[in-house]
Amino acid sequence: MKLVKAIVRPNKVDAVKEALASCSAAGMTVSEVRGHGRQRGHSAMYRGREYEVSLLPKMRIETVVPDDMVEDVIEAISEAARTGEIGDGRVFVLPVEESRNIRTGERDVV
Amino acid sequence: MTNELATDAAQPSLADSLAVARDRFRSASREARGGAVESETFSAEMDVLLGRIYADATSETDTPVALIAIGGYGRCQLCLHSDIDLLILFGGPIEASEERIVKALLHPLWDLGLAVGHQIRQLSELEQPEVDNPEFLTAVTNARFLAGEASLFDGFTQEVLSPRSAWRQPTVDALCQLVADRHHTFNSTIYQLEPDIKEAPGALRDINAIRTLAELTQPETGRAVPLTAGRLDEALDEAEEFFLRIRSLLHLENRRNLNGLSHEHQVTVADRFSSPGSEERTQVEALMSVYFHHARIIARILSAALAETRPSTEEVEIREVGDNLQRGPDGVSFIDTVRASLRPQSWLRLFQTAIDEGCAVAPDTLAFVERHGDRYTSEEFFHGTDERDQFLHFLTPQAGLYGRLSEMHENGLLGRMFPEFRKIYCRVIRDFYHKYTVDEHTLLTIRNLSDLADPESTRRQRFASLLAELREPELIVLALMFHDVGKWTNKNHAEESVRMVVGPLRRLRISPESIRTVEFLIRHHLQMSVAAFRRDNEDPEVARQFARLVGTEERLKMLCLLTLADIQAVSPDTLTPWKEELLWRLYVDTYNHLTLGYGDEVIATGQPNLADIKAHRPPEISEQQITDFLAGLPQRYLRLVDPRTIYDHVRLSQDLEPEEVRLHLDRQDDVWELSVATKDRPRIFSNICGVLSYFGMDILRGQAMSNSQNVVLDLFRFVDADRFLALNEAGSSELTRLLQDVVTGETDLASMLKGREAGSRGRRGRPPVRTLVHFDHHYSDRYTVLEIGGSNQWGLLHRISRVISEHGCDIDLVLISTEGDRAIDVFHLTRNGAKLSPEMEQDLRTDLEEALVE
Repeated sequence: MKLVKAIVRPNKVDAVKEALASCSAAGMTVSEVRGHGRQRGHSAMYRGREYEVSLLPKMRIETVVPDDMVEDVIEAISEAARTGEIGDGRVFVLPVEESRNIRTGERDVV
Repeated sequence: MTNELATDAAQPSLADSLAVARDRFRSASREARGGAVESETFSAEMDVLLGRIYADATSETDTPVALIAIGGYGRCQLCLHSDIDLLILFGGPIEASEERIVKALLHPLWDLGLAVGHQIRQLSELEQPEVDNPEFLTAVTNARFLAGEASLFDGFTQEVLSPRSAWRQPTVDALCQLVADRHHTFNSTIYQLEPDIKEAPGALRDINAIRTLAELTQPETGRAVPLTAGRLDEALDEAEEFFLRIRSLLHLENRRNLNGLSHEHQVTVADRFSSPGSEERTQVEALMSVYFHHARIIARILSAALAETRPSTEEVEIREVGDNLQRGPDGVSFIDTVRASLRPQSWLRLFQTAIDEGCAVAPDTLAFVERHGDRYTSEEFFHGTDERDQFLHFLTPQAGLYGRLSEMHENGLLGRMFPEFRKIYCRVIRDFYHKYTVDEHTLLTIRNLSDLADPESTRRQRFASLLAELREPELIVLALMFHDVGKWTNKNHAEESVRMVVGPLRRLRISPESIRTVEFLIRHHLQMSVAAFRRDNEDPEVARQFARLVGTEERLKMLCLLTLADIQAVSPDTLTPWKEELLWRLYVDTYNHLTLGYGDEVIATGQPNLADIKAHRPPEISEQQITDFLAGLPQRYLRLVDPRTIYDHVRLSQDLEPEEVRLHLDRQDDVWELSVATKDRPRIFSNICGVLSYFGMDILRGQAMSNSQNVVLDLFRFVDADRFLALNEAGSSELTRLLQDVVTGETDLASMLKGREAGSRGRRGRPPVRTLVHFDHHYSDRYTVLEIGGSNQWGLLHRISRVISEHGCDIDLVLISTEGDRAIDVFHLTRNGAKLSPEMEQDLRTDLEEALVE
């Protein structure tokens, strides 16, 4: 089991959700986040004042999938979130030791 | 020691007894009978159970002990899965044997699967009120003796509940604070789409708060409601019965102590209650309509109860506060009610005066308006433009507006003035996000906008600053009032709302320009959310397209504020800092497009939106004259100026002689508007600014542009700070003459201004504002865009434009705006028809920075 964590542009969330649904990922968590990667933000002007835009608004999508689905899921997310421009985001894959369904107590069901 | 509730060895087990009691309650709940009587019966059955447990537990000590029900159990309002709130009170020190009793009492309860909220005290600990434990303070007000030493309970009652108890005032304070905190978590509104039947404003906890406050503040009267609440005892009982029955169904369905009346539960409850309606949706609406009816009554009684806990320390004198209006201790009211009843158009002043006075409208007067409102049609509230102006003034975002509008909505006045608004009365829209009914959501948007106008508030200051800059902020409130009225139907609600607002705007006699603004805001009230949250915020095309949609900075600011207020009113959690940031970035990007990037989009001769302007032209102006005048002007001009003004400008620019200057002056309140047309020549903008400065005019906004015919059109809005025009009948012609002389070179403006410049320096005393000279290379392909920010000093524009001209630059376009003491000027420059080189920019920057600190 792996935790796939994707940081994507806010407007790409719906496309990523659809892509994950099409490859049968069972569930997901979506959060509003701010941060920067290589973009490192930029400075902007507003009415003659300069201000730093260092942390950019992004969305974080997390889903836990069986090991054999990881590549498909990464591919689906990347395909859906890609614009080709800097700032498309990242996908991280982390190992998951165990998961439990809180209501039923079932183990390792994703 | 006495035991009130004897045990019997032959009786069924505790678990069986509990099961029987619950089964009985379940049956009643299923039939929607789980109200006060059933709750009381269930509580009594729990009493018996506890008596048996107590009898088994107390054989181990001689210390006096009393088992006391508190909280909801104390009130005999146990529901199927309610917590069992208990106070175990000892008459002496709590040591090992007493602890054994506690365990012997609690363990069987836990074994039965009951959730127990227990408190353990010895009587001597209760000499002082537990001010740091507000929940305990309020829970013991409902204390009821269950078992044990009755004299110990008497001692407790004397200490804690007697009229002279030291616990009384801290309990009142704690209860008020708990109510305020709880209401805050629900955005302080009863209109929850999925209300918590226990916690929500206007629901069960509020009923209990009313009863407790009445008991604590009016112990002698023996009333269940405060004196000022009037004859509402029965209404309180009815509401309580309704809520208790719903709660029992929720416990039945959830199988636990969960009290949220979700959309799914509303369907079940409506069915069990046999709510009227031919389909599920109408049944649910009927149920929720009854819910809001009860919640409104509870809210009104609670408000009166809370008011009575805050008796005024000084006598409020009744005084006249306007024509037929007086201010008393309970708010603003009419002096002569007969006269008031005959003049419905005067009723708005009642609410306006309450805003001005910072108080409410007196409850009796609200009832009076409610009684008499039915006699009048919507037209009779707005006879003429005076009423329109009063209403628009009333809609100015400010503290108190939400409160007064809510009063007008509650007593039906708003719906009588605008029957269109009545269509969304308690309207329930089911979706994942909205927490309130459509009417309450609408009023909350207005509250959110008004909060931005609070000078004391430090929240969302960047948005608050936009509100402060608007010329007609009341138009946003007007748009907000009607932005969702179209939700009465399942059609495209924005378009339906636009259709429905036509009537109110006509009755109010709103000006055509304002109508266009309000309709624009309503039609596009979802567009900014879509662009900010569902489009790529890093794609410049998004802001460019949005700039095209809004057209002007004024509309952009209005739509931005409307969007912010609208999102915030969806639920307490919807407007996250993340969303706020995205919204602000779209605003900034769009603003920059409108002010820095507009120069590249010029009017072409054949573009389709000119057809209307040509079709409705006055007879003395030809189509060709309009075409010639508009060609080459920025598209922005068409978005800013209405057709009537365009015709004025066409006239102004016809057959201009090479050195001729024509101007048109107009006045709106304290602000003057100046249009100047002349043939383009060096320093023209600088000279106009210099002349205005010479006469002491404070330039607020302005723009300069030129067309393909080499005609320059400069538009200014300024304040006549020295009252030159106001005090001189010939002021206008004097200004024209000097302008003409300066343009033709007959008068040396520089020497005229020198004396005034010296004088103005002596008057400076404002805090310094950091100056900034910025060249933008992002927004325009045709121009070098120069942005200058600095103190709004006398003659600043003249100095800046003089320096620019001295560098051989052509000022093709200018936008001037002010923000408090700060001036923000944007110049679109070329030199010999091309953008400036980096070296030229550097030289110009050096000289400008020098000029700005002069």
